[in-house]
Parts: sequence; structure tokens; C-alpha cells
Amino acid sequence: MSLLSLRDVHVRFNTAAGVVRAVNGVSLDLAVGETLGLVGESGCGKSTLGKAIMKLVPIAGGEILVEGIDIAPLDRKQLTDMRRKVQMIFQDPYGSLNPRSTVGRSVAQPMVLAGWTAEATATRVETLLRWVGLPTDAKQRYPHEFSGGQRQRIGIARALALSPRLIICDEPVSALDVSVRAQVINLLEDLKGEFGVSYLFISHDLSVVEHIADRVAVMYLGTLAEVGGRDQIWRSPQHPYTKALLAAAPVANPRLARTRPRTVLQGELPSPLDPPAGCPFHSRCPIAQDRCKAERPTLRPVGGGALAACHFV
Amino acid sequence: MQRLEFIGRFARNRGALIGAVLILVVALMALLAPLFFPVDPLRIVGQPELWPGEDPDFPLGTDSLGRDMLSMIVHGARATLLIGLFASAVATLIGVSVGATAGYFGGWIDEIAMRAAELFQTIPNLIFVLTIVVILGSTLANIVIAIGIVSWTPIARMTRAEFLALRDREFVQACRAMGMGDFRIIAGEILPNALPPVIVLSSLVVAGAILFESAVSFLGLGDPNVASWGRLVGDGRQLIRSSWYICAIPGVAIMITVLCLNLIGDGLNDALNPKLRDR
Repeated sequence: MSLLSLRDVHVRFNTAAGVVRAVNGVSLDLAVGETLGLVGESGCGKSTLGKAIMKLVPIAGGEILVEGIDIAPLDRKQLTDMRRKVQMIFQDPYGSLNPRSTVGRSVAQPMVLAGWTAEATATRVETLLRWVGLPTDAKQRYPHEFSGGQRQRIGIARALALSPRLIICDEPVSALDVSVRAQVINLLEDLKGEFGVSYLFISHDLSVVEHIADRVAVMYLGTLAEVGGRDQIWRSPQHPYTKALLAAAPVANPRLARTRPRTVLQGELPSPLDPPAGCPFHSRCPIAQDRCKAERPTLRPVGGGALAACHFV
Repeated sequence: MQRLEFIGRFARNRGALIGAVLILVVALMALLAPLFFPVDPLRIVGQPELWPGEDPDFPLGTDSLGRDMLSMIVHGARATLLIGLFASAVATLIGVSVGATAGYFGGWIDEIAMRAAELFQTIPNLIFVLTIVVILGSTLANIVIAIGIVSWTPIARMTRAEFLALRDREFVQACRAMGMGDFRIIAGEILPNALPPVIVLSSLVVAGAILFESAVSFLGLGDPNVASWGRLVGDGRQLIRSSWYICAIPGVAIMITVLCLNLIGDGLNDALNPKLRDR
């Protein structure tokens, strides 16, 4: 059984301009101990999908199974068990900690909510801070006294508090300096090795995902374009969007950069207010044909264990 | 550490410092009134209409009935400050509750709360206070409640605006993600961050409340058993041509107190304003 299974998940927002289909029928599986990278450009719905799994946004349809239990219809009290199993690390290390709470109070919150005793909570907070490499006297201090990387460690400590099985990492290193990024990534990998936690790693930074992910899911306009093993995707991307995305990522070696095939996308990301009919990518796809305008492709095996949503691969 | 920093920022504003010191003096005066003037201030103790300085026993003179002005001013500070503080507390309590609920939940709850606030705002404040006092009766508690009911709307709007800005911040989402209840998020997480501008507003409501109470007392609707400053002004108004000092002395006391409270409000604004705060 997968740790996390998404079955045709939809998320819609009602705005003044109309209904935004932020997530439009996503199905995905995440195995125990796996790191799944979720990539895509800004506004493709990858963060919204992460929040939907945490039930931070209303779910318009589909099933979200955590260890086989559908959490979509559950209310706050019924979700307690799931909250223990699934936690989240946020993008902005400045915004994700209450500026008026001490670090100790912020990290202790999950234990307090779970009804731990004050003593057990205090011990646990110290342990957590040690795990993420912060001095124990950090707990009396306030978030503004820490650097971005340290704050992200505090956020990680808080997410680890109740030993979750799965951590949703919503762009955890995007707001950090490049020099600090590696430290936080390494910390996440160490913790994975030590506690067997799985990650859903949401990022637009392909190099980070290439480094940390076992499998990769590529998202475009609220739908999945391609899912597959990391090496499979990087070596032979099948979906035209994946190809374009990988080609757009900068390469350190200029000689290599000049020789590699280039697929430059035309046009803008269509508005999720009014997504194109048929394949959501057809308006920018280099190999689009008439069929793509009418019929929406579903994910299907394309070899090498990968799945792609395209009629012509 | 943080507290020291806060006091330092507050004291950098000279006006606020002077205001705070003067208010402290007034508050001390109010606290120690029975010590200096153990006799009921409303008792007749001397000749009527003695001008300040005329008789060394009554440094601020006596009123039309021969009551000691200084004693009444000192005792009046009690009533006036208490009314100001409690009325502001009532207004803050109502305003924060309504504003926090409206801003956090949004949607139709927000609509109803804000339309209700607008309803209150459309009624002229003083007339509203007088109406409530006339209906409920002229007691100190009723005047406090009336002023609170009239003064909560700006606090509610400010609180709502702060909550709107804070409710989608990631630390609030983190609390939701760990299954924290709405009340706990509102009171324990968002409110401490929303409070600084609300505190500034509350300090200004204290000043406003003192003025309202003075106006109510001046018009003769104040509590007859309490010697508030507003009532002294009101009592002296028949003699304003001959013995104007009876009106002027409590009037100056009100003016200084209200001015000081406004200065304190400014100082609090400087000290608490997150934009001036370095990260």
C-alpha cells in the first residue's frame, strides 16, 4: 500500500473573475521511504496540491488516501491522526514562524496540541533542536534573531515533532541563499536516512529536485504531464513539456549547453481561469495536432516505468 | 531585553515621555486622593466663590456652593480616569472580538459584522451616548457602557484589517496544518501580532472617552454622586461671566489629560510600528 495516493484530485477557487481550476484531476502515488519531486513552473498548481494534501485548501473532488484512509471528507477532529502522519515545511522561513513566539513555543506546539506533558514536551523540543543542528538555548529566542537557514531548520524541527511518515516540502530552499541551500538539503536527506520519513518535494528548481528526488512528477496547468523515475525523466523525457522544461534549465558547462537540443516554448502559460479544452498543453506544444484540441490525454505508460499524458509519445 | 528596547523607542519620542510622566502624576493624584483630602469633596467647607489664591486654605478657590476646588479636582481625577480606562476597555473588548471574528472567518460573517459597524458609525456619537445614558439611567457604569458601545467601531476595523493581512501567513497555515482550532489560532497566534496598532487606538479611545464623559456631565446627564471633571465644568457654567475659573480649572485638567493621552498614543505608535522595527 502506498503511503500517499491521490485519485483524481480537484481544487477550485472561486474568485471575482471566475472559477480557478488550480488542480485539475491529479492522480499520484508515493511509496514509503520515497522522495517524490513535484516540479512545474509558477502557477501550475504544485503548491496548491501540497496544501490540498494538508487540507489547507478546500478539496473540490477526488480522493486523498493516507495509508489507505481517504482524508478528503474528514473534519478537523477526525484529521488528528493524519496530522501526526503528514506534516509540512513551508517556503518562506520568515513567514512560517510566529514572530511573537519564542522558537521553543513554536516547536512545542504540535506536542502541546497532542496533549503531551510539559516535561515531555520540553525534552522533545531539545531533542528536535539538536537533530536539526541548533543550539538548545535557541528555544528562548525569537525568530528574528536567526538567519534564513536557521529558521528553516526550526521549521523542519517543528514538522518532525510528532515523527511524521510524510513531510510535504513546499519549496523549502527557494528562499534561501545558495550557500545555505545545500546544508538544508543535506539535513533533509540525513533525517530521511535516520527516520525513514518520505518527502513530497515541491520545487521549481530542477537541480535541487534532481539531487534529492527518487521519482519526479511534472505538473502543467493543474494536471500531471509526466511521472517517472528521476534518471528516466532526466535522461529521456517523453512529454514535450518535460523536454522543454529540462531544456530551459541552465547547465554549468557552456560547451554542453551549446550542443544540447533546445526546445523553446512559444506563448504564455494559459490562464487557469479558462484552461484550453483537450490537452492543456496543446496551445504551446511543438507537436500538437487536431486531436490534442479535442481530447484530453490521460497518463499512460511510455516505457522505462514512466507515465506521460500525451497522445503522441 | 525586548521590553527595554520597547521603552527606549517609546522614550525617544519626547512628547510621549512628557505625556506619560504627566499621566502618571494624574494617576498618582487619583490614587492618593483620599490621603490628601480625606473629607468628601462634595461637602461645603468654606465661603462660596473664593478666587484661587484668595484664601491659602483653598489654593484653587471654592465653587458657587463653597466646596474646595482642589479637592474636587483631585477626586475628580479618579472618576475621570476610571471612566476613560473602563470605557476604552469595553470598546476594545467589543472591537477586537468583532474585528477578529470578521477578519479571520471572512465571507458572510465579515459582511454582517462590517455592516453592523457601519450602522453604528452612521449615528452621531454624542447623541448616541446621550440616548443610551438617558435610556439606561445616569450611573457611572451605564456611562462607561454607553461610551464603549459608541467607540468600538474603529477598533473593530483596525483589528479586522490586521487579521486579513495575517490570516494567510505561513505561520498560521502551519498551525492549521498541525490541527490547531480556530479559537486558539485567533487568540494565541494572530492576536499577539495584530495587537500593537490596536493598543495605539485604544489609548486614543481613553482620551475620547474622557471627552464624552465630560460632555455628558456638562449637559447634566452625568452621575450625580460622582465629582468628575466634566461635571465641575457643567456646575460652573452659570457663573462663567463672573467666576470663570470654576469652569476653567477642570477644563484645563481635561485638556492636559487628553493631550497627554494623545501624546502617549503617538509614542506607542512609534514604538510598536512594525515598519520602523528592524528585522
